[in-house]
Amino acid sequence: MLRKLTPYLFVAPLVIFIAVFTYIPILTSLNLSVRQWNFLTPDMPFVGLRNYEELFASAEFWNSLWVTTVFAVLSVPLRLGAALAIANWLVRETLVSRLLRGALFLPSVTSTVSIAVVFSWVFSTDYGMMNALLAWLGLGRPQWLQDPHLALWVLIVVNTWKQIGYDIVIYIAGLQAIPQELYDAAAVDGGRRLHVFRRVTMPLVMPTTYFLLVISVIEAFQVFTIVNVMTKGGPAGATDMLVNLLYEIGFVLFDIGRGSALAVILFVLLVALAILKSRIIGRKVHYEA
Amino acid sequence: MKPENPVVAVLSLVVGLLFLSPVLYSIWMSFQTADAFYAGRVTFTLDNYERAVGQFNFARYLLNSLIVSGLVTVLGITVATLAAFAFARFTFRGGDLLFGATVATLMIPSHISLIPNYLTLAKVGLLDTYAGLILPAISNGFAAFFLRQYIRGIPKALDEAAYMDGASPLTVLWRIIVPLSKPAIASMALYIFITEWNNYIWPLVAVGRQDLYTLQIGLARLYKINPGEGLVDWPLVMAASTITILPVLAGFLFVERHLVRGITMGAGK
Repeated sequence: MLRKLTPYLFVAPLVIFIAVFTYIPILTSLNLSVRQWNFLTPDMPFVGLRNYEELFASAEFWNSLWVTTVFAVLSVPLRLGAALAIANWLVRETLVSRLLRGALFLPSVTSTVSIAVVFSWVFSTDYGMMNALLAWLGLGRPQWLQDPHLALWVLIVVNTWKQIGYDIVIYIAGLQAIPQELYDAAAVDGGRRLHVFRRVTMPLVMPTTYFLLVISVIEAFQVFTIVNVMTKGGPAGATDMLVNLLYEIGFVLFDIGRGSALAVILFVLLVALAILKSRIIGRKVHYEA
Repeated sequence: MKPENPVVAVLSLVVGLLFLSPVLYSIWMSFQTADAFYAGRVTFTLDNYERAVGQFNFARYLLNSLIVSGLVTVLGITVATLAAFAFARFTFRGGDLLFGATVATLMIPSHISLIPNYLTLAKVGLLDTYAGLILPAISNGFAAFFLRQYIRGIPKALDEAAYMDGASPLTVLWRIIVPLSKPAIASMALYIFITEWNNYIWPLVAVGRQDLYTLQIGLARLYKINPGEGLVDWPLVMAASTITILPVLAGFLFVERHLVRGITMGAGK
């Protein structure tokens, strides 16, 4: 009897924590999203789909969805493309390559708040590194974080800077798994470098690309820290990404119902994206490597 | 390792330094007086650190971050190892389902639990406590998944021999599995520690009392109390920022390889 119980006892702590802090909250969010509540009132009346309707009717929701989508669409291909090119170069086992990998990887374990603060200085108008550089080159003096056309780009740059080392490390692992014979065969056939890259490397790292694509899109839709620290969603909503809007509605305006409705929408969106991607890309993945 | 073309070597190092230059410069800036920084002169002072630690409470924030990240790591790795052992070694009703549910947490965006977890902890009176910061971070699906894969690679004959000698499952885990999984456990402990150290959104909502701020919250607040462009005391902020990144940075230099191995092994599976 005890013997049969053993595995349950071992998994119990993990399962309980996951249930309480991950799975039950999904149901709680669903429940709260059809109620009206602001922490203060004793009861939370059922209001049907009103919170959802209000969101869909509000300009700020569509703005956030747009801004987040633009962020993802611009930053993910930039990150993965650059990471693959750099990984293809750093895959060589030399001392310099090792050092450079370390340097590129460092930001991905560094505090995001610190990075956001440091880059707030880099892109600050009067004393920042970027404008000092531009002044030295005799170019203009943009107000990076105060300009609605530039602020989102700054966040894309900062996010790419932080995450690219992780992508590179994963790509290097993927590249190392490609059998050398394939490159040798391509060399015998007189394949030029770019050709070999396109015909051998690219298809064979497809599983890695797929993995990175999934996690980086999910990540892009959840960017919060750099927004909260660097722009607070401004100027004029230009960087008001979805999780920032969720934080504002839930923890600044204390509109629990509407915040929960937004959380549910974002959740459904991300799950749908994951399924869609596995449908589209899943078929093109080459697993033979 | 192959020798490197010196030109390529020097160029690569320059690229690496340029890439890290914002952070390197911020550390340098933390040793400048504000006057010298704005005037473009070079000085050396520890005044910014003294102010950050004393006047702006960063000693306390550092202590809080160490307590919270330390406890999350110890509890998180314990819970993950226990579960990983059962998932790797026992066949039991519902085992596959529970393992699937554990792995699925990797795909569940964490924002969905933000408001509910806040309400849960408010209900039991744990907002504004260390426990409130720690509890939601303990379960780590990735660590459980990773350790399970690792433990499956350890020959089962070792367990069976121990069971023949009358050992209990807990003894087998503690005497055989844990010693043989040390590299994997170390990688995951590191991963959990760094993730928790850098956690921002949860402490932001779960803690209002200043004496419970972690470094991340303290740094963000310190930066934001500066009222606007041009008035920011950058050298002070950079000293606080350096305090915030230094423990992980120092650790990183020693254990980079472990960390990279852990991350890539997880991705390959």
